[in-house]
Amino acid sequence: MALAASTSMQAPVERRPFDWPNALKEAGAVAFVMLGLTVLMVGIEVRDVPGGLALIGRYDDVAFASLFGFMGRIAIALLREQRPKPVVLICTPIALILLFILLSQDTLAFLAGIGLDFGSDFAKTMQAVKLALPFKSLVVMWIVLILIVGFAIGGLRGMAPPRAAPTAADRSADGTHVVRKPLAQRISIFLAPALILFAVAMPVLAMPFGQRWFPFLPTVDLQVMDIAVLVVTYVMLGWGLNIVVGLAGLLDLGYVAFYAVGAYSFALLATHPEVVAWSQAVFGSSFGFWICLPFAGLMAATAGVLLGFPVLRLRGDYLAIVTLGFGEMVRIILLNWYSLTKGPDGLGGIPRPSFFGYPFTASPPEGVTSFHDLFGLEFESIHRVIFLYYIILVMALVTNLFTLRIRKLPVGRAWEALREDEIACRSLGINPTNTKLTAFGIGAMFGGFAGAFFATRQSFISPESFTFIESAVILAIVVLGGMGSQVGVVLAAILLIGMPEIFRDLQQYRMLAFGAAMVLIMLWRPSGLLAHREPTIKLFGRRSARGAEEAA
Amino acid sequence: MRFGGLVAIDDVSFAASDREITSIIGPNGAGKTTVFNCLTGFYKPSVGRLTLRNADREFLLERMEGFRIAQNAHVARTFQNIRLFPKMSVLENLVVAQHNRLMRSSGYTLLGLVGWPSYRRAEREAVGKAEYWLELIGLIDRADWEAGNLPYGDQRRLEIARAMCTDPVLLCLDEPAAGLNPRESGDLRKLLTDIRDTHNIGVLLIEHDMTVVMDISDHIVVLDYGRKISDGTPDYVRNDPAVIRAYLGEEEDGDEGEGSPASSLGGARSEPVEPTPRDG
Repeated sequence: MALAASTSMQAPVERRPFDWPNALKEAGAVAFVMLGLTVLMVGIEVRDVPGGLALIGRYDDVAFASLFGFMGRIAIALLREQRPKPVVLICTPIALILLFILLSQDTLAFLAGIGLDFGSDFAKTMQAVKLALPFKSLVVMWIVLILIVGFAIGGLRGMAPPRAAPTAADRSADGTHVVRKPLAQRISIFLAPALILFAVAMPVLAMPFGQRWFPFLPTVDLQVMDIAVLVVTYVMLGWGLNIVVGLAGLLDLGYVAFYAVGAYSFALLATHPEVVAWSQAVFGSSFGFWICLPFAGLMAATAGVLLGFPVLRLRGDYLAIVTLGFGEMVRIILLNWYSLTKGPDGLGGIPRPSFFGYPFTASPPEGVTSFHDLFGLEFESIHRVIFLYYIILVMALVTNLFTLRIRKLPVGRAWEALREDEIACRSLGINPTNTKLTAFGIGAMFGGFAGAFFATRQSFISPESFTFIESAVILAIVVLGGMGSQVGVVLAAILLIGMPEIFRDLQQYRMLAFGAAMVLIMLWRPSGLLAHREPTIKLFGRRSARGAEEAA
Repeated sequence: MRFGGLVAIDDVSFAASDREITSIIGPNGAGKTTVFNCLTGFYKPSVGRLTLRNADREFLLERMEGFRIAQNAHVARTFQNIRLFPKMSVLENLVVAQHNRLMRSSGYTLLGLVGWPSYRRAEREAVGKAEYWLELIGLIDRADWEAGNLPYGDQRRLEIARAMCTDPVLLCLDEPAAGLNPRESGDLRKLLTDIRDTHNIGVLLIEHDMTVVMDISDHIVVLDYGRKISDGTPDYVRNDPAVIRAYLGEEEDGDEGEGSPASSLGGARSEPVEPTPRDG
């Protein structure tokens, strides 16, 4: 036995011929697996026909899936053996064809408007090809297109010249080695402002006048705004849970409890007959959204601290189970305490938020100016939804700003230190009890704010909205985004909440696609989409401790 | 100190004072780390008293909660298997150590949230202290590195610097020279004597490396099977027959061992250890 190790780069060896038998064998295996996976789930469809149910065979879909798997595996083998040209040559035209097929009539008209006219014959040919394709669903076509484009990009990268030697700028402070900022960090830097800009401008961009210039944008119809509000709500919940799980490292599976406490606190303060009577007597009106918001947060924070006490000594899995139990406890209490919460009947008639006192109603009561009267606009119900969207956007951004700020404060650093090593924390004089309780409390507070918003958006809440699955989804968002990464949470929320809505087209295969996406993420990026930790304080760097000292 | 039926420490009494380096040595399993854990609050001794006197204040360590020993009695420790915060940067590790003072200046976070100047000033001072220690241990250039990426010897020194950033009156080091090559071990010795002489604190050391122990200790305590078998200056301990028996076993027939027994226990003065040059 002899071992030789060397770092010197030798001249490229003679490339061995492409190992066709092995590649074909692998591709055959993939095709076989695809066949097995799809023959029952995709191949046989149950359809309602006159006279009962019938089993329809869709074996052309199965054949296509197997073929696609086969070709994909060959492409991967080619790329792996550094033979990108065939991949690019085949994938690029197919991608272009698919792209043209998918272009909607509106887009073609737009392109014609700016001079790229393909003619009506072209459009007819495309339609014919589209009908001939084995899959009918638009979404599947988009997925196939994205995969093919992925292969093409992989091929192009393989064909690109090798990376240039590192320059002085890439080296570390003492010049001893090369420091390349990780991809996650480079992406986060420009992605964050881009996302904020898009989020703020989205309703405006999608308004009728924006539509004329950017026809591919979604119309500002109720469905799109609803999805947007939902996504931003989950972003805020993700940022709130990020404080507990990402910063403090406390695996909380019962976050929905605080969401529920916030929602019910607001609902009860606003609609419970005794409270309403008291507030009418003292203040002259019942409590509105803005007044109740801090109370909702306070109640949720109290719940967070109460949960924190029993779990102080628990770690990891045990902490997760106990918090899960707490989440279920809250839901069951809400379900059974009929006299207070009306149990499964839920609480309704929750007031909507007003714009500094100007309500969003078509016909306001006597003497009250409504929002549209104030601004001289036509009343459209979409305005209220847009207003709700901006409220949750502002609340989410406040959560984010708070997190960014508190990371630089001693308590934020103590959270991160607690996550890294609790025993070392104790040896430094950090009180683990207080640190954990503040993490739970503050994380819960933001969950409570989001809950109050949820109540006002729906105007009706019931314990059914606060099941364990919600906690799981929020945790999945935090973990998928990369624990501790703010931008990652946004991306993950868009993926996990937005995609299933877009995938509605796939009907019963929606969850299949969802599961497949989760598996892909776990294979490709196991530590999350953008798992990069930015230090809170730097000695050298643009905004550094030394820089501040010199400037001060 | 009893763990169920196992008596880890049976009869150990000793004193350590400031401006002195006290070493606790003994074979493996003698109970040295158990003593440390009792001192620093990780175990509660079943019987006994641990008193720390500082100026005119007295702390009964066996009654204090773990983190309060570091917070109020100002006892700092390092760990046998290094416990840094690996994903945080070197600078952050040192700033976290000053948590308690910074918490007070930030008004328990409230003032800090609104950007109160007193907190910003306190944070700058904290960074200044961190910079001082980074220069002392030679890591100033790598202040922004992730602590987990440092080589082993640097991690050890960082852990000691982090303990010093808590402004302790007693520094407890658990096998600080483990895994260090002779050059790094020399750097460590210099660092510890600097700490003793400049900062006037007491240092308590568990160590197996006799070069380090004999070179820098002012006072040595020897443990074996949970009992103290010797206590005194390095010269006294080196020649104490009880200690020699514990380390080398009973001599069977006269002069069996290589060299004199005393030389195995103390390299620095009698037999200096030269670092061997490496090939290549």
